[in-house]
Order: sequence, then structure tokens, then C-alpha cells
Amino acid sequence: MSALTVDESWRRLPRIRGVGLLLRGLILVSPLAALACTRAATDHPLPVIDVVIVILAIGSVFAPDGPLGALVIMLVAIEWGATVHDRTTFWAVAVAAALAMFHVCLAAATVSPPGARWTSAMCRRWTRRAAVAMGSGVTTWAVLVAIDGYEMPSSAILVAASLVVLALAGLWARDGHP
Amino acid sequence: MRTGDGWLPTAAHARAVVAGMGLSVAAVLARRPDLLVLATPFVVAAVWAVLVRPSAPPKMRQSIGHGMLREGESTTWHVDLDDPEGRIDDVGVVLEAPTWMDVGPHDGQVAASLHDDPRERIDIFVRPYRWGYRRVGPALVVASSGWAAFRWASKNEAEATTLVTLPHSSEFDASAPPVHTPGLVGGNRSPRQGSGNEFASIRPFQPGDRLRRIHWPQSLRTGTLHVTSTWADHDRHVVLLVDALDEVGRSDGIDGRASSLDIAVRAASAIAAHYISTGDRVALVVLGSRSVRRLPPASGHRHLRRILEVLANIEPGSPAHDNGRMPGGLGEGALVLMLSPLVTPTALQRAVTVANRGLSVLVIDCLPPDIAEQTPDDPYTGIAWRIELLKRERELRTVREAGIAVVPWSGPRSLDVVLRDLHHHAGTRGRRPR
Repeated sequence: MSALTVDESWRRLPRIRGVGLLLRGLILVSPLAALACTRAATDHPLPVIDVVIVILAIGSVFAPDGPLGALVIMLVAIEWGATVHDRTTFWAVAVAAALAMFHVCLAAATVSPPGARWTSAMCRRWTRRAAVAMGSGVTTWAVLVAIDGYEMPSSAILVAASLVVLALAGLWARDGHP
Repeated sequence: MRTGDGWLPTAAHARAVVAGMGLSVAAVLARRPDLLVLATPFVVAAVWAVLVRPSAPPKMRQSIGHGMLREGESTTWHVDLDDPEGRIDDVGVVLEAPTWMDVGPHDGQVAASLHDDPRERIDIFVRPYRWGYRRVGPALVVASSGWAAFRWASKNEAEATTLVTLPHSSEFDASAPPVHTPGLVGGNRSPRQGSGNEFASIRPFQPGDRLRRIHWPQSLRTGTLHVTSTWADHDRHVVLLVDALDEVGRSDGIDGRASSLDIAVRAASAIAAHYISTGDRVALVVLGSRSVRRLPPASGHRHLRRILEVLANIEPGSPAHDNGRMPGGLGEGALVLMLSPLVTPTALQRAVTVANRGLSVLVIDCLPPDIAEQTPDDPYTGIAWRIELLKRERELRTVREAGIAVVPWSGPRSLDVVLRDLHHHAGTRGRRPR
């Protein structure tokens, strides 16, 4: 017992069941759903990236607390950016929802040991949060559709200001203070 | 994920920050607002998680309900987590089960929501199913903040607890009278006559008889003085000699098969409980154990507890752990009950040595009766055991010829016949009635 780290202990535990099993199923299904939506929005999919994403998603099922999840998200986003050119397609909302589900399931899978039984309060709270994350994409898409016709002139200052704001936001989000 | 005293960001938070910020920057640089749609859920998760981030570690306390149990009984491992800021959402607890112990529910894995019930106490039941001393805990406790973004893990070795599991006492009762002992007080009838309460006979007066013992009606009828004689009272001095030189057979704990040491320890526990409940003195000598080897004779429930603790602490040793000398604590007139599987010459030799000192020895055979059938997959082991049992039978015959009774352990009253014989034998050797 003495030298056990959290990682080792979590991995050694047998028998995933109940909500833990459902979460791992969703971890596998949600990137596939994102890929399906991406394919639906484009005529030129990238099969090689798709295969890599599926492999990484399977890896994420076994190691939800690792870096594979971030790689899956980045690859889906890269494939989306490279193959989809319709900026207001509703498929963006579907892909965002699938990725949000993927992220929430990965996070939820790490809060308890795999064999533990989830309480109903935990299930309700995580379901609410998943709904918030998925719904936020819809809001952004709605704003995007609303301002789609508005043409803003290019401005280097505006771009630089946006990047500075994003950098500060990133630093703050990393650990709570810039 | 690392164990530490404070709150550490998790891979989930890193993923939300990297994905949210990365996609946002890409959206700005590539003039792709649709990437902002993909980024939004991650930005929301990251910002929300930072806003509800805990800053102080929770106060945790772990304890066990009972430190001493009998085999098959259960107790509870408690985990109390106090969250002063109210920012802990989920708590995961894992208590690993040592050998011979069940933990539950769900193999000791528990999840709880502190967000909904800040005073929630997490209980994990612990059930040892074999006697012994075992370290339990500490449980691994992992607390997570909102969105599983920050994590606090605790694993404090100082809070591990030793759980003492006392052997389950097999049912045992004996109604046989005690063997001759030199004791002068106690609750048992001596085979000798003397000062006591239980009527023995009326006999002619002898010098030294007390005047108050004179039986006047008989004396007047016969014309010579007669006195009432009584049986003397005395206590028993029982020595339990447990052979821990070897452990034979498979042990599945209290719920399954018993090894030879299981049978010996549980039988010794039952015999000790019986004799101490009748006010006798019981001593314990353990042959070959790597731990405590001897308890001097005493009576009372506190002594019974000591005996059970020593029995629980027995670890099977080997003949190398036996010094080969006569065990101490075998006083004159003691009844020696040796509990042994009788598979090593050392144990048999020891029984003969004790008997040669003039003590009453009764050997209780603790070899599991189905020892030859315990490995049905390996016929050679079965054959080897049958050969070994034939050899053993020959050696037991030698022991019996030396005047030592050998009986298999079979629970209540299993020793009565032999104890009666020993009593009768001791009575005929005893002094003549005064």
C-alpha cells in the first residue's frame, strides 16, 4: 500500500461496471460521432486521420486520465478545419456537442474508481454539466449565424488584441491567476 | 496525476484549456468562426472550473470501527472528509483488501458526492475471514473539484490500522472429571477424598479427622466413631501445546476448508474458553512459531483474551524454529493437550517426551480428514499423501503403545471418553482415602 500512487491504484482495480462502463462506452462513441458529422459536412474526408483518431479513442477508454483525449480533440478539429469550408454549417454544432460529450465523459471517468457505484446526485450533476457544455456550442453557433452577413474589415490591431486577450485568458484558466 | 497535499490540475483541465484556447486562437488566425463553435464547450468548462477551484485542502480522518474481531465478523472503515470551502464535488475512495479479508461494497471502491451532501461519511465494510494480525488501510481518498479540473489525493501510511482477528472458537464442551492434580482449591471434584463439599462416604474415625466431621447417628448405632468423608476440590491445570511446526492443507478461511493450523488454533481457542469458563488454569505453549511461544498458566477472562491474541499471532514456522527442548510451563499434574497434525517426527517425539515426564498427555489430531483428496487435479499428490498417511499411522501406533491417547478433533465432547479414562487412571494412582 505504501508506495501506491493514484494512477497505479486506479489501473489495478478490477471490474468496471454501471456508470463507469457507460462512460467508457461514450468515450469510444463520441469521437466516432464527431467523425461521422465531419464526414457528413464534407466531401473530402481524411481516412488516415480517422484511423488515428479511432485508435486514440480506444486508448482513451483505458486511460481516461491521460493526454490521448486532448490529441483526439485536436485531430478532430484539424480534420474539421482542413476539410469543411462552410463556416455556418449546423454540423459544427453536432461536432462541438460530440467533442463536449467526449471531454465530459473523460473527466467524469476520473472522479471515482472504476468499480464504484455512482450516486444519483452525481449522475444528475454530470448530466446537467454535459448539457451546459453541449448547449454552449449552440449559443455560439446561433451568434455566428446572426452576424454572418456582417463584414468586418481586416485589422491587425484587432487580431493582436484578440490574441493577447486569449493568451491572458489561457494563463488565468491554467491555474486561476495570470 | 500525482499524489500531493494540495490541489493539482488534472488532465481534464489541461485538455479543456489547451483545446479551448488552441481552437480560439486558430479561429482568430484562420478567420474560421466555426472553430469557435468547437472551442466554446472547452472554454466554458475551463472557465467554470477555475471559478470554483478550491484553495484549501480538505480535512480528512480515517478510522476503523473495531480493532479486534472474531473470524467472520465485520466492522466498518470510516472516512470523514470535511470540506471547509464547500467546493469539492466528488470523492472516490479505495480501500485495498489485505489477504484473508473481504471489503465492500464493490471491492472497497466507493464514490460519493460531497457537492450534494457536504457532511457525508463514507463507510466501507471490512470482514476478515481468517484469524491473524493484518494491516488495514489507509484508504486512498481522491477529491475532485467541479468539472474534475483539480484533484486532491491522500494516502497517509500513518493511518493504517492493525486489525486483530481472533480465531473462531469451535463448539466445545467436556463433562469428564479432571485428571489428578496437586491443587487444593478449585471448582472440580478431585479423584481423592479430602476437605471439600461433595459427600463421598461414611467411614471409621482416623487420627487427624476433624471432630465436626463425626457422624453421630452412625457412631451411636455401631458404638465406634464414624466420620463423613468428602471428595476434595481442586482446579485443573491445562496446558495447550499447539504444534505450529507445519501447516498442512489448504485454508479458505472460516467459510471454507480448514488447514491443520486452522483446526488446531480454533480447537485450542474452544478448549481454552471451556476450561477458563469453569475456573481452571490454562497455559499455552506454541511449538515452532515465529512469534510468541508461551503463556504461563492463569485463569480468568482477561487471560482467555491473551490466549486468543497469542493464537491469532501464530505464524507457521519450521522445525528450524523449534529449539528441541522440553517446553516450559508444564507443571506437575498438568493435563497436556497437544494439538498437532502429527506429520513431523519432531511433534511425535515431543509428545512422547512429555508423556515420559509422567504428565497426562492427550494428542488431538488436527490433520484435515480430506487431505489426500484436496488436489484432485494432481493424482500424484494424492498418492503421496496416502503413502504419508500410512507411515503416519505406523508412527501413531508407536505413540499409542507408549500410552499416549490420540483422538481426532470433532468438536463438542470429542475428548470426553479419553479424559474419563485419564481421570480413572489418575484416580487409581491417587492416594488412599483418609
